[in-house]
Amino acid sequence: MERHVFRALGTECELLLDVDPGPDAVLALATAEGEIRRLERLLSRFRPDSELSRLNEAGELEAGDDLLAVVRLALEARERTGGRFDPTVHDALVAAGYDRSFDDLQAGGACSPPVPAGGAVRVQGRRIELEPGVRLDLGGIGKGYAVDRAVVRLAGVGPCLVNAGGDLAVAGVPPGGVWPVGLETPAGEITLGVAEGALATSGRDRRRWRAGGEERHHLIDPATGRPAESDLVTVTVAARTAVEAEVAAKALFLAGERDAAAEADVLGVPALLVTADGRVRFAGGLS
Amino acid sequence: MTDHVARLYATALALVVFFLAWAAVAARPWGHETAAEAKADPRMVQLDRRAEQIRKRQVRVQRKLDRRFEAYRVALAERQARIAAVQASPAPVATPSVAAPSVGTVPAAPVTQTRSS
Repeated sequence: MERHVFRALGTECELLLDVDPGPDAVLALATAEGEIRRLERLLSRFRPDSELSRLNEAGELEAGDDLLAVVRLALEARERTGGRFDPTVHDALVAAGYDRSFDDLQAGGACSPPVPAGGAVRVQGRRIELEPGVRLDLGGIGKGYAVDRAVVRLAGVGPCLVNAGGDLAVAGVPPGGVWPVGLETPAGEITLGVAEGALATSGRDRRRWRAGGEERHHLIDPATGRPAESDLVTVTVAARTAVEAEVAAKALFLAGERDAAAEADVLGVPALLVTADGRVRFAGGLS
Repeated sequence: MTDHVARLYATALALVVFFLAWAAVAARPWGHETAAEAKADPRMVQLDRRAEQIRKRQVRVQRKLDRRFEAYRVALAERQARIAAVQASPAPVATPSVAAPSVGTVPAAPVTQTRSS
């Protein structure tokens, strides 16, 4: 098993490739890393020269393939989740103090009144237009997109897993039949065996900071523009792709335990919910 | 011109003449070393032979190195072309089409972790 770890997308990225060591494996891993770094350069809101930053700055842009694809996916997700997932939370995140990369945020961020999301975003052909005052954050969905793209790059070489700080996707079956993925819960570590598709975990247990005398986290409720108040701590979701898993995990987190479990069951979305009182709940057929 | 200066010129001239004579004698124009005399020292012959062998071997090694370097250069160009092709080729913009997720709890030791990101 070839393992390659590097830092990108504001987190630790891990590539696993189940092939014998050799030049092909090295080339494939380097190509997958290059793909992730390329997408980070395009989609990061923390890079002033990224394509996303130029869109946010100008309010309109003739976009390249990747930005266009991610914005379309994000708008579809906004539609599908009834606005619980919304890429227009950029200013709400900044208002909550998340105005720089999380690595730099530990020094403490500035805080300002919450900014509800939901502004208009128009896509016509390759042109993306933002309503005045609207800016996009594609952090989570961009990470899922990068994971999905990196898996495509590796899949031709052998069974593989790409993990970007918890958002992961697999392709091909490893010798054991599944990819065992650990998840820390209050009840101890649970190992999920992933044979196909992707996993993503959203929660308020990690990306937290203090601003304006309050503890904040990065999961913004688009309706209020404030860090979401949920009786869940983390939600882990399995889906066909990392993008879908990322969107579903955020949407279920905002729904709260009861509605999240019901929605996962109805839609058949395998999910694992960790509640604020330390319980672990399986839903959507996951057991 | 004083006698002193004349003596100086005479001395310099004498030195020049002396060295010219020395060079003429050192050249031994009256004697010829025969081929037999040259062959007389077997160590010199052996050294010459050895030097010739080394020169030939050097040429062979250089040719071999040239061939190997050319093969390496071609392989490197092919490899760089492959890397460039892979990096330039657009992977499908749409997310990969995979089957429905297949996931469940297992007793195996994890190879990686998922956590809130």
